[in-house]
Amino acid sequence: MNKVKVYSTPVCPYCVSLKEFLKKHNVDFEEIDVSQNQEAAREMVEKTGQMAVPVLEIDGEFVVGFDRKRISKLLNIEN
Amino acid sequence: MELYDLIIIGGGPAGVTAGIYAARKKLKTLLVTEDFIGQVGKTGQIDNYLGLPGISGIELMEKFKEHIKKFEIEIQEAEKVVRVKKEKEFFLIKTGSKKNFLTKSVIIATGRDPRPLEVPGEKEFIGQGVSYCSICDAPFFQDKAVAVIGGGNSGFEAALDLLKYAKRIFIFERSDKIIADEILQEEAKKEKKIEIHLNKEVKKIEGRGKVQSLLYHDLKTKKTFQVPIDGVFVQIGTIPATAFVKGLVEFNEADEIKVDFKTCQTSCPGIFAAGDVNDGKWKQIIIAAGEGARAALAVYKYLQNMN
Repeated sequence: MNKVKVYSTPVCPYCVSLKEFLKKHNVDFEEIDVSQNQEAAREMVEKTGQMAVPVLEIDGEFVVGFDRKRISKLLNIEN
Repeated sequence: MELYDLIIIGGGPAGVTAGIYAARKKLKTLLVTEDFIGQVGKTGQIDNYLGLPGISGIELMEKFKEHIKKFEIEIQEAEKVVRVKKEKEFFLIKTGSKKNFLTKSVIIATGRDPRPLEVPGEKEFIGQGVSYCSICDAPFFQDKAVAVIGGGNSGFEAALDLLKYAKRIFIFERSDKIIADEILQEEAKKEKKIEIHLNKEVKKIEGRGKVQSLLYHDLKTKKTFQVPIDGVFVQIGTIPATAFVKGLVEFNEADEIKVDFKTCQTSCPGIFAAGDVNDGKWKQIIIAAGEGARAALAVYKYLQNMN
């Protein structure tokens, strides 16, 4: 089982699509709303160098943006 | 290869409406789209779409997507069309992942993409301070100074989205007047955090690892200034997403596809263009949806005459 975290904001459209994609493929994930949690936002920026969402953390590896190909590979999702 | 009656390219209001109308006419239809987000999905709140006042852009897109999925229509999501080629009386659609589809007719409904600023530093710092989506990325600029480039509606809306987070917001506009709607101007002018700068042309975005400053040229005094800044939100309008049909259909001087508005047909019979991608005036969701319906019905007629 992969440990998956989604860093997102409630209104970011690609975050909505990403979460929908994960749900569709039955991937359990922890959701971190960076608009409500400034500490998590800072931590995410420190770890990734990115000031943009969505960011996905899969077993400690970061994927920036809704990169369907890489996410599918890391989670063994067949498209 | 399977032959479709119609391939719709784009999943915005024009493409989705065309899909619904085509499905109701029992056309063998495929809709190809990168996503169901587009310009609408990146808009915070929409107050001028009939029947759904105050809905958020992404919610409206979710509704469109649910609606089209009620019909028998094939959808290829996460596919970008890179080329449309004429093959005798049919058309070949090629995607970025090297899929090919053959069809009797095409509706182009790809809308528009954000216009890049095209200054040094812009591409390098995307995601590291440069953003085209204020509602997505505003929370990363808590207590920071940000610049919004562009004094139109989307520039002012971005500045207002940033209000909750940023400590200072500069709006840089190249021309000598603001073109945003009065209602937005009034709102922005009430806020002390927002400073509006006219006649300023942004020249360069600078930093190490992330955005740290911005160089701009004052077009009146002809002097160049540097301002420390943590974020740059580019909101200088949009360009039509038409590169994949260049040379196949006629464009106007703004690279919009020329159509006959009676049918939305382009200069190439069998190819239709609906919504923001064509040369119609006033880019609105409701207009795009209306044109999607018109184009699909025109396709139905075109196919009848073809057989």
